[in-house]
Amino acid sequence: MSGLKIRALILTGDGLNCETETAQAFQMAHFESEIRHLNDLISEKMTLNQLSLTYSVIAFPGGFSFGDELTSGKVLALKIQYRLGWNLTEYVARGGLVLGICNGFQTLIRMGIFGREVSITHNLRGHFINKWVKVTPHGNKCVWLRGLGTFEVPVRHAEGRIILGSTRRTEMLDKMNHLGMTCLKYDVDLNGSEESLAGLSDSSGRIFGLMPHPEAFIRWTAYPDWTSQPARASSPGQGLAIFENAYKEAASAK
Amino acid sequence: MLRFYHSEEVDGLGGFVLARIEVGLRPDFEDSVSKRLLRRIELFDFNLRKKIRWARLLEVYWLDIAVPREELIPAITEICWDKVLQWVFTGNLMPSAAGKSGGLQDLMQESPFRPGKFWGIERRFRAGVTDNVGRALIEAFEIVLGRSLSQARASSGGLWLVEGPDLNEDGLAIIAREIFCNELVETWTLVPEELLKKNDRFHQERIKYDLPKIPRQGSESIEIFELKNLEASALEDLSQKKYWGLSFIEMKAIQEYFSEPSEQEIRKSKGLLEPTDVEMEIFSQTWSEHYQHKIFNSKIHYQEKDSDLIPRQIENLFQSTIRATAIEVGRSWLLSDSHENSGIYSFDEEDAFCIKVETHNFPSALDPYGGALTGIGAVNRDILGCGLGAKPIFNFDVFCLASSDYAKPLPDRILHPRRILDGVRRGIEHGGNKTGVPTINGALVFDDHYLGRPLIYCGTGGFMPRRSGERSCEFKQVLSGDRICMVGGRIGKDGIHQSTLSSFSSLALDASSSLPAVQLDSLTQKRVMDFLLEARDQGLYRAVTNNGAGGLSLSVGQMARLSGGAILDVGLAMTKYPGLKPFELVVSESQERMALAVPPEQMPQFLLLAEKRGVEVSDLGEFTQSGRLEMNYSKQRVADLDLKFLYEGLPQLELTAFWEGRPSAPEQGLGSAQACLDSLIGQGGDILLHLLGQPNIASKEWLIRQYDHEVQGMSVIKPLHTVISGTLTALSGPNDAGVVKPKVISDRGLAVGCGIQPKLSEIDPFLMAQASVDEALRNILCVGAEYGTSDCITALVSSFCWPDPLRSPQKMASLVRACYGLREAALALSIPLVSGKDSMKNDFQGKCEGRPVTLSILPTLLMTAVGRVSDIKLCRTADFKAVGDCIYLLGGSQFGLWGSELMFMLNQKGDIKPTIQDERGFRTGEPSWTLARKVYSWIGGAVGKLQIRLKSLHDISEGGLLVAVAESLIARGFGAALHISVGVNGWEFLFGEGFHSFVATVSEEFSKSIELEWGELGVPFQRLGIVQSPPYLEVSLVDPESSTNLKSLFKVDVKRIRSAWSKEGYWE
Repeated sequence: MSGLKIRALILTGDGLNCETETAQAFQMAHFESEIRHLNDLISEKMTLNQLSLTYSVIAFPGGFSFGDELTSGKVLALKIQYRLGWNLTEYVARGGLVLGICNGFQTLIRMGIFGREVSITHNLRGHFINKWVKVTPHGNKCVWLRGLGTFEVPVRHAEGRIILGSTRRTEMLDKMNHLGMTCLKYDVDLNGSEESLAGLSDSSGRIFGLMPHPEAFIRWTAYPDWTSQPARASSPGQGLAIFENAYKEAASAK
Repeated sequence: MLRFYHSEEVDGLGGFVLARIEVGLRPDFEDSVSKRLLRRIELFDFNLRKKIRWARLLEVYWLDIAVPREELIPAITEICWDKVLQWVFTGNLMPSAAGKSGGLQDLMQESPFRPGKFWGIERRFRAGVTDNVGRALIEAFEIVLGRSLSQARASSGGLWLVEGPDLNEDGLAIIAREIFCNELVETWTLVPEELLKKNDRFHQERIKYDLPKIPRQGSESIEIFELKNLEASALEDLSQKKYWGLSFIEMKAIQEYFSEPSEQEIRKSKGLLEPTDVEMEIFSQTWSEHYQHKIFNSKIHYQEKDSDLIPRQIENLFQSTIRATAIEVGRSWLLSDSHENSGIYSFDEEDAFCIKVETHNFPSALDPYGGALTGIGAVNRDILGCGLGAKPIFNFDVFCLASSDYAKPLPDRILHPRRILDGVRRGIEHGGNKTGVPTINGALVFDDHYLGRPLIYCGTGGFMPRRSGERSCEFKQVLSGDRICMVGGRIGKDGIHQSTLSSFSSLALDASSSLPAVQLDSLTQKRVMDFLLEARDQGLYRAVTNNGAGGLSLSVGQMARLSGGAILDVGLAMTKYPGLKPFELVVSESQERMALAVPPEQMPQFLLLAEKRGVEVSDLGEFTQSGRLEMNYSKQRVADLDLKFLYEGLPQLELTAFWEGRPSAPEQGLGSAQACLDSLIGQGGDILLHLLGQPNIASKEWLIRQYDHEVQGMSVIKPLHTVISGTLTALSGPNDAGVVKPKVISDRGLAVGCGIQPKLSEIDPFLMAQASVDEALRNILCVGAEYGTSDCITALVSSFCWPDPLRSPQKMASLVRACYGLREAALALSIPLVSGKDSMKNDFQGKCEGRPVTLSILPTLLMTAVGRVSDIKLCRTADFKAVGDCIYLLGGSQFGLWGSELMFMLNQKGDIKPTIQDERGFRTGEPSWTLARKVYSWIGGAVGKLQIRLKSLHDISEGGLLVAVAESLIARGFGAALHISVGVNGWEFLFGEGFHSFVATVSEEFSKSIELEWGELGVPFQRLGIVQSPPYLEVSLVDPESSTNLKSLFKVDVKRIRSAWSKEGYWE
């Protein structure tokens, strides 16, 4: 096993802006992180096959792709679908893992990863919010959340209200609960999100998207009350576990 | 055949269709954006808000995409319509998901008020302004259709559907103008219910009419000015008429320059005779107050009554004060000390940092949202253009505004302060959040002197490697032969004369020939930022600078000085549309543009990378060593100026300044010592609660949380400390300064904090400047910056906003005094002043209720302190951490009430009338720099070793000591028992403001040893009390001799403190 590099691909370009800290989080969890510009992958015509062979993880980081115009994540989703044509479900079926954070999560939603009946829109209070919240994993399907209890992370978004198609809402919710897709919830109602959902996974549990920023809590000194426990200043933050879970999973597959 | 198709495409008939698309949330989902708009109306006019019973917002897109209908419809469905979320209305173009009729009446049917009275307010962009949604639409269609759509047009707008039987056209017009639209960049129409139900607005001819037009094409010719025969008054008139902002003396110097025989000979050989409009515009920009800081560089005859601390003859105010301080203090870590850009300071062996503060007062007065948005964009680009280019790693913002409940009549064209705040808040949010730069610090100052001109300070810190390949990153270099490249957004008519206009005090400008409002395309800016940093690391360019104020004239001009000349063809610059005059190309300041010097051998790679990153490059010409700035337009010479004269020929201003001395201190309310103490009993708690709710003190959490203060993952000390565990609702209190950790592998940090004390300007600007320096430094010391150590890095940035000092010798004297106060403080503390900014014309002249008024701001100096933190693990916050901890007053204890927040409050609120006693009369806090150095050296780690035992540290500023203690209790909810000694002037001690003072806590076990260390080092301290578990702030009187409690003065519940401080829900 030693010497075997497990690579994580972190996308950037077109207004994404959390690529550096996301790469750092994967790095801290022992991945080899590579930040790649979307346009370079397009001009190289990176196929799903190459992608699977090279990277164990694809991460869609946070940011404001295309300035959030035409609904958040929309144009980036179109660009990935039309210019790269990656089938992410196929990618995870081959053993890959996918993470979408904030704008990356919105992009996954727009790509239809969590089904055609799921969407996301403006917070109920109608404005951007940067705040630390408690979130709790639900079910045990999501690979990324294995073994995690309640943890704290910051949210930084204006469009985090997850919506289910109103005509089939109950049916959809039952199905998603059954499949273990409703995997992460806020402890309080933050933004009017359906069932206080903070994140979703696909039915395989390998594609995970969430509005909060786990990459913003990989060191204890990022916590807004860390100075009351300075003895822990060198400790990692609670968000790191998510990336470590991915490493365990990816390493076991190698 | 091709030609036929082309004309069809333009007409939007035949095979191709034009589309109008309206999308809105399905009625099942709450429309939170409408809710927000309604809230803004409520804050603006409560009665108007009550008239709207129901509202839904729809996005509107107008498309002219020349593709066949069968391709267009699926593409629209894919791009514009989220079926889970939205309903779409397109007239007859495509089927709607809505109910029976497929029109807006389906949405009205879902309103609880049926049949109601509905209206639509439609907004769309004015021709020629930036439309980010329109740009995104075209990119999206290119992606989906798989081809380039260079001829396509798309624009965006909004349709707000509102219902209310009492709404009428007048009320709706107010809503449209004041809330829904920004009339500088948008127009609006009211649509009555009958028309909303019809499909007229989807007709091809109508869409064609609604699609954006290219602004009326002007002639591309140049204008010639026969300066040589003009008399003095005619010269001045010409300058006025053309908005050049050049004085008679300056015009005269330019006239003489053009008539010199040697110059005429050169010009003749280039086919030029009399000065062109391009040349005069270049002079206007290069000699602007904005660029040349003419007032700051003036020669001054200074006089004052009593003292001669300040010289009577000042050769150059800036050189004698600010610049001289940087030189005298001098530090090896100052890598570059350019005042115009930012200075560059070493962070460690590998990296350097820089910091810059800009103001955007004039644009924000006109258009708060756009002004602040572009302010943050511009200062980000200044950092990007610093040295070889630095990455913006944090923003900080300070706004000075009139009070948000200002109720007196507003002068014409002046926006209500609340609207300004709402606009600038959104501007900073979009400017910072969307480009991924965290907003880590800031301040809000409310004072009605800012009614005529709000102050909008935008600051940015940057980080860069010290070397890139062979090159040292702190220096710019330009060689003859390097290509002149402009990258980023295209040039339009927006932003012409922006910086020169800011020198005019009237807002009633003739804007017919240009659009002074500037907008930011944050996506383009982000792409440019990413691209430039990548190009820097690949060594693809030699120099870069922001193409900001003054446009190409200044960005190319300044770089040309490095090589010794430039020749360019401005006609090669990419434009948004044809028809721009040469002078407009040269001075347009619109956003997202940078200018670069690219070595010719690197051009192919440079262009290739730009293309890959979706960034446009205009190759305009080359740098030379001709000594001249030469500009062509389509091969015709339009400007040819001597660089040396252009940059050094400006005549120095000579001004007089007269200081009358401080006004006399207020005397009302003076009473006996006993009366003073008695008046505190019972009342002290109420005074504290009132103070905590004062706008200058109250929580800014509602604002802070709308800014991303954590992106980039570096944050260590955020604007607020927050206690989450154990409570469902996290509670937050204020921090003194922000700290970031710029490097993954290093535990070093950077602290940034602000000091701003404009109220003291009314007493003495000298004192005001000293207080601002002291406050800024104390703020960063609180969080853990070093001071006084051998390798400490601390720098001060000064940003002056002044009422026009040319108006009177008194106003000029206030500037002189502030500069000398600043110099004294910086020298005494041995901290270099490293870069700065000034804005000198912050007056408003206009009319209020038909009468002429002149409004001037308080002389305002924002000091920003930036300091390195050697180990972020030792950073501190202000909150009291544990029950039983000892509370200390550390440092200065001489507080004054004159100029304090308490006095300000008492002047506003007639209902509180405390007795304030002091035989000497009212006083101000005064600095003692010797004491300051002792205190700061200890806190900053230069002497002693127990500073690591400080569990909290908070500076005493607005509101005084008691407010500082209260703020430290808010988040965690502990209480505190404080004692005042008999004989202390209670009002001054609890509510007075002064210098060098902090509230600190230390755990009981270390209190003895730390007191011993303070004693040995001469650090003044006073034990105030302890942190207690009962949630009350209690103040009692003690006998210092016997340490016995004599009586309780007052007691306040911490819950009441918290609710007084956090007026949550007031704004949003």
